[in-house]
Amino acid sequence: MTSIAPVRVDAPVVPSEPEPVSQPPKGRKGLVITLVLLVAALFWISPLVLLVITAARPLSDFIGNGPLSWPDQFTWTNFKDAWGIGNFATTYRNSALLALMKVPLGVLISAMLGFALAKLRMKFRRTVMFTVFLGLTIPIYITIVPVFIMMRQAGATDSLFGLLGPYLAFGIPFEVLVLQSFFRQIPDEIFEAAKVDGAGDWRIFFTIVLPLSTPALVTVAILDAVATWNEFLFALILLNSDAHKTIPVGLLNFQGQFANNNTGLAAGILIAVVPILIAYTLLQRWIVGGLTAGATKG
Amino acid sequence: MAAVALSKPSTAKATRSGKWSPWLFALPALVVYVAFLVYPAVSSLWFSLTDWDGLSATYNFVGLDNYFKLPTDPVVLTAVRNNVIWTVVTIAVPTVIGLGLAIALNGKVHGKPILRLIFYTPAVLPLVSIASIWGWLYNPQYGAINSFLRLIGLDGLAQPWLGQDSTALWAVMVPAIWLRTGFPMLLYLAALQGIPNELYEAATVDGASRWQQFWHVTMPSLRPAHYIVLALSLIDSFKVFDMIYAMTYGGPGTATQVMGTWMYANVFQYYQAGYGTAIAVVITVVAVAVGIPYVRSQTREAS
Repeated sequence: MTSIAPVRVDAPVVPSEPEPVSQPPKGRKGLVITLVLLVAALFWISPLVLLVITAARPLSDFIGNGPLSWPDQFTWTNFKDAWGIGNFATTYRNSALLALMKVPLGVLISAMLGFALAKLRMKFRRTVMFTVFLGLTIPIYITIVPVFIMMRQAGATDSLFGLLGPYLAFGIPFEVLVLQSFFRQIPDEIFEAAKVDGAGDWRIFFTIVLPLSTPALVTVAILDAVATWNEFLFALILLNSDAHKTIPVGLLNFQGQFANNNTGLAAGILIAVVPILIAYTLLQRWIVGGLTAGATKG
Repeated sequence: MAAVALSKPSTAKATRSGKWSPWLFALPALVVYVAFLVYPAVSSLWFSLTDWDGLSATYNFVGLDNYFKLPTDPVVLTAVRNNVIWTVVTIAVPTVIGLGLAIALNGKVHGKPILRLIFYTPAVLPLVSIASIWGWLYNPQYGAINSFLRLIGLDGLAQPWLGQDSTALWAVMVPAIWLRTGFPMLLYLAALQGIPNELYEAATVDGASRWQQFWHVTMPSLRPAHYIVLALSLIDSFKVFDMIYAMTYGGPGTATQVMGTWMYANVFQYYQAGYGTAIAVVITVVAVAVGIPYVRSQTREAS
């Protein structure tokens, strides 16, 4: 799925940004760097800015004035057209449904495996660990022919349920890697105390391990949801009918239909990415914290 | 050190459960993992030894024929070359830009969180949407890139970026760089914040210039981050498929084919599932071999 870093998640704190005490306070030099970075950031984000502007102008205005001009007038019609023709009501529902099924289930079974690897006496632990982590290196396309056959035999092609298994499997290595390293940091004394009180492994897992690991679970769930929302190849080979397509596959079709309608295309792309942009902006502290928590350890 | 650091191995296992109890925890994930990842990957090895077309009920075992065919397929040679270029460029450029941004952001900068947010944004977008956005920017007639070139009087440079052999691969790599710069930036930024200031103070006292400080204090301290960035980028780069499929479908002609897309074309377009699978096996073996040191380091740390 997407490139996510299997690093240790300790706590999803925003990486604190301490002002280096020994260095002189922000002065003219700081201002210059800020300005340079600001220009770079504007340049970096300009494709998205351009997309928003284009999506909000009539096609005639776009063609008449060119893509880099400021619009003479604004309109919502592109969004209305794109929403209908792009079948976004359906693809949105499908992607959301898939994420709602896949993410909680994936996080739960990965947490269970992670717990067994981190805290239980399990035979062949190293072997299991190595085998599971090796999954990080396996490209999806090596599995598509057998998966396709498997799903056809099971009658699960062109169904969201057919995607569930492969999505879960490809999410497991990363989730287990992160979660087991988090569980490992929970002090053993807590478990011993619970054992004395007569708690079994399952009670310990559900009443101690999971609650204590909320930060890691949330981070993993968010990254997993992003990966699920964005997955393309399995959805491409397994889903045929428009009624079952997810956002990435739907967007690809849409792109073909709107090849000559630049403003409509921009609106459609925007419709497809807005939820993920909003989620990212709101949840970025979890994402950034999760991706980098380990690196701050030096 | 990010993933390989701070291993405080808990020697005493917390729970002394029955022999099979841990397996109850492990089983659900392991069953799914084996059924939908390990088993398909391994059975691809079998299909790569057959002449299956992907449709018929029957097929023949042909031994290593598909593999012998690979070096004689000109598209495979193009794909291998493209994979190598892709790997080198989409690792080197984002890493260097990401490091530069991280160092700049680590200085006395205003609005750091917003700047960081902006530079990482492309990384969360679906690859297909990134392909759409850039396909749109590259549009020969109405695209922003050619319009910009015309605006500043460089009309001669305006060209069909995705439509000609000479530029197509590079044009596809630009959005990949756009997307992949955020991660090294975040990682380096976090790592830079972990370098104790005393090191720089000592270096300053010793009369080291900024440049010397960079090479003798910053870079060595970032070694763990370099390792993670390199390992994960390498693993990631072999998986390239979505972006090329959605932007050029391997074209024009076969100019931007990589192993992943050429595999797909063989299986689903030319009905040579056996041969296509052999292509996938080759690149997967390379990817796994390259990834093993990283996987081992993760396993070791955890024990």
